[in-house]
Amino acid sequence: MRIILMLIKKEFLQVFRNPLLLSILVVAPLVEFMIFPFCADYEIKVLDIAFIDNDRSQVSRDIINKFNASGIFVPHGLLESKEKADAMMKHDRIDILIEFPHNFEQDLYNRQNTRIAITANAINSVKAGIGTGYAQEIIGGYMQDFAIANGSGSMQAMAAQLQAQQAAAQQQRKGSKTTSIQSDSPIMAEQAASIDISNVYWYNEQMNYKNLIVPGILVILVTLIGCYVTALNLVREKEIGTIEQVNVTPIKRWQFLLGKMIPFWLLGMVEFIAGLLIMKFVFGISVQGSIPLLLGITAIYLLVMLGLGFFISSVSENQLQSMFIVLFLFIVFVLLSGVFTPTEGMPEWAHKINYLNPMSFYIEVIKKIILKGSEFVSVQKETIVLSIMAVLINTGAILSYREASK
Amino acid sequence: MSAICIENVSKSYGGKVKAVRDVTFSVEEGEVFGLVGPDGAGKSTLFNILTTLLLPDSGNIKMLGMDVIDDYKAVRQIIGYLPGTFSLYPDLSVQENLDFFAVMYKSSIAENMSIIEPIWKQISPFKDRKAGKLSGGMKQKLALCCALIHCPKVLFLDEPTTGVDPVSRKEFWDILKSIRKHGITVVVSTPYMDEATRCDRIAMIQEGKIIGINTPATFIENFKGKLYTFKSEDIFSLLNAMESCPLDCNYYPYGEHCHIAFYDDIATALPQFEKFLSDNNLQHDEIRAIAPSVEDCFIEIVQRDFSH
Repeated sequence: MRIILMLIKKEFLQVFRNPLLLSILVVAPLVEFMIFPFCADYEIKVLDIAFIDNDRSQVSRDIINKFNASGIFVPHGLLESKEKADAMMKHDRIDILIEFPHNFEQDLYNRQNTRIAITANAINSVKAGIGTGYAQEIIGGYMQDFAIANGSGSMQAMAAQLQAQQAAAQQQRKGSKTTSIQSDSPIMAEQAASIDISNVYWYNEQMNYKNLIVPGILVILVTLIGCYVTALNLVREKEIGTIEQVNVTPIKRWQFLLGKMIPFWLLGMVEFIAGLLIMKFVFGISVQGSIPLLLGITAIYLLVMLGLGFFISSVSENQLQSMFIVLFLFIVFVLLSGVFTPTEGMPEWAHKINYLNPMSFYIEVIKKIILKGSEFVSVQKETIVLSIMAVLINTGAILSYREASK
Repeated sequence: MSAICIENVSKSYGGKVKAVRDVTFSVEEGEVFGLVGPDGAGKSTLFNILTTLLLPDSGNIKMLGMDVIDDYKAVRQIIGYLPGTFSLYPDLSVQENLDFFAVMYKSSIAENMSIIEPIWKQISPFKDRKAGKLSGGMKQKLALCCALIHCPKVLFLDEPTTGVDPVSRKEFWDILKSIRKHGITVVVSTPYMDEATRCDRIAMIQEGKIIGINTPATFIENFKGKLYTFKSEDIFSLLNAMESCPLDCNYYPYGEHCHIAFYDDIATALPQFEKFLSDNNLQHDEIRAIAPSVEDCFIEIVQRDFSH
């Protein structure tokens, strides 16, 4: 017991004397929390738009005014030619181009099918997707008003149902980086009642992206402290030879590893709790579920990461090697885990790989408990998997450490 | 009773490099035993095996009756080890390092003050300084303190004076002398042959093999050749010319001098050699007879294959 306490004391002395490590521990979470959630935002707030109006009618002008008044689109005026529009899109001056055909208004009144072309710059696929979505919504909204205003007779049948058949013909233009999505929106005259769709986003009612990003940052923080710092620390002892001096003493392997684990486990927990406080008081996201449950599962996840860190340090010769291994694993973990990108679209094999990815289980737990307020029952599976991982990886770490020292 | 009995110990790395080949020797209790050999001779490998850090491929080692391989936990309690490179925590202070290793050995500084006192007196003025900020000699003294903190029965010192200034080297050997008073067996390796004379017995090691074990005095007594020394301006030409020397002799540069050992009758060999030098137009000063050093003995054993 005295030995383990001494090992822990030594570790803390070293951490607090290492200005670089200390600043990583303090500054990293602050920077990640204070900057990242404000930047990483999938919400599109500004879209540059231009119009080609071949009709120059009351209806087309009304629709353009709707766009201009939306607050999302920044209008870049009416363009005379398609060539001009192409050039502007090529130079990233506009994101969306709306083109009204000849006789647009006339066709509408005559209950003819007509089409509006929406062209989007799909270099930024999120922007293009959301931009066309907004555009369809505005046109659809107008069409509905139009149908009601011209309610008598056959006109009332006209619902502005813009079919979401985004038959997106993606054409790559030679020599330019612009890809465009052509969206044809036939207006069907024979449609009867209109359907009003209202969305409710459960567990994140304002669809606030910070609610998704901030828990992700918590996960990254815990992973970094658990895996990175431990891997670097142990391999450093190898590098400067102190591990040899410790190995000739009669202390047991488990004592040594425990003396390493407890300090970094504590540091990880402190960082996590600090992260929770920042989340609550800066971003106003409070944990919906049980905090002890959250801490408990985090404790297990930290054990997995500590074990992984030890394993990496025992198979690498120096800090540089271990850093590369951690970095590689870290990127794979983050990209596969669904911390920032949804996993649903991933192919089957990626899902299978994810069964080995502790981060994907942990992010599930974090999202469920923090945002959804889940009980233990719904995170049971993840908890069991993480516990098994913790046991396996730490056994591996102890075994590989034994090999390295004997 | 022998403190350490080493029998037929071999170790190879990856099956190719044979670092230690069939080494057998024993170290008596309370003696200062030196392991002498050039870099790469296998000294550190042997040390790592003896200090339980490395498993040998074959062979047995008994340390005070305990098996080093099977009973390594118990062995670790009775040995002290000073590795070849400075291996203390550079970001901990002198005092903290010492406290740390005292606890690791379930000991305390006060308990074994009598042993470390002569060293502690020298480093205690710096006890709050970080170990990494100490001078080379001070670092070694601190490392020695840490290796002695649990009053070991056997102390292993792997090249303790490599890279240490001559004054500190002398001090270090004086400290080792004082340690002996506590009945501690000391095993020390060094590439410096002049230091070897300060050991009770030395084992010469070359390419992983022990090529001779004896007291330094006996090694010198057993020197077979007649050793002479002289100075020459042009050592390079001399070395080339010696290729064609008809005498049975052993020639090598020794510092700024040249050493030559003759194995023929000296009455005829010396005049022959002087004639050989003048025939080859090689300048030299007076050729004087000298007593061999341990290094001369080592070179004789290696070059003339006198190993047993």
